[in-house]
Amino acid sequence: MMSLVSYLIISLILFIVGLVVMIARKNIIAILLGIELILNAAALNFVAYSRYVTNNLDGHVFSLFIIVIAAAESAIGLAIVIRFFQIKETIHVDEATQLRN
Amino acid sequence: MFVQLLFALSALLTVGCAIAVAVTKNIMHSCIFLLGSLLGIAGLYATLGADFVAVTQIMVYVGGVVILMLFAVMLTGGKDFVSRAQNLLGLAPAMGNKWTYAIGLLVGLVVLLTNVKLIMNISKAYPAKIFGNDFPSTVNQIGHLLIKEHVLAFELSSVLLLGALVGAAIIARPRKQG
Repeated sequence: MMSLVSYLIISLILFIVGLVVMIARKNIIAILLGIELILNAAALNFVAYSRYVTNNLDGHVFSLFIIVIAAAESAIGLAIVIRFFQIKETIHVDEATQLRN
Repeated sequence: MFVQLLFALSALLTVGCAIAVAVTKNIMHSCIFLLGSLLGIAGLYATLGADFVAVTQIMVYVGGVVILMLFAVMLTGGKDFVSRAQNLLGLAPAMGNKWTYAIGLLVGLVVLLTNVKLIMNISKAYPAKIFGNDFPSTVNQIGHLLIKEHVLAFELSSVLLLGALVGAAIIARPRKQG
């Protein structure tokens, strides 16, 4: 049951769900949730390949860097969301049509 | 046996919570389901023998990112939470309509079909190998890799985190007027 392909299938499902969340949801925070799902799918692929193919730990290190970058991206994105809410009083993505207020 | 049970439970938790993130109407519930999905991914890391990555996943995501998301949801849930266009159509807040879901599912179907082809090739190239259930600790080797081979990326990621910290504080600071 546990093989490389099963991990790849789980990762593929996570990627597709993240893509659907990013495209379908209209809330900026929900779009950030979709980005988190996609980044996690990529990190899971790195660790699965690291165990089943290359048999060293470089994939783990890549996965850790993906986690670091996802944390930084999330912090910046949420700061932008909060600033946007201070200006527009909403976080609906269709309201974001201007770069300046 | 224990590893396979953990794999089955983690896979179920990951996929189920990820699908629930896509279809739940309440954005707060979406964040909670994302938390479940990330915990499931940490369990999958544990079944792969990646103990350090699993613990980092739990600490950074469950302890940091999802809490930050929940704070952002609570800070932005104002009186005008329902957008004007959605209010006219009578839709739930923060949800797309049927067209956005249709386009999303279409794109997902295209990605699914292309990747199924790729995964079938991979299953031929790397047939299922039997690995023992011994999981040695990876912390020592990861520490050596971070300091020796990947030291440039390690230092650059610290600069990136500092930049993200300062940038987030500058962007989200309260302004005097406006």
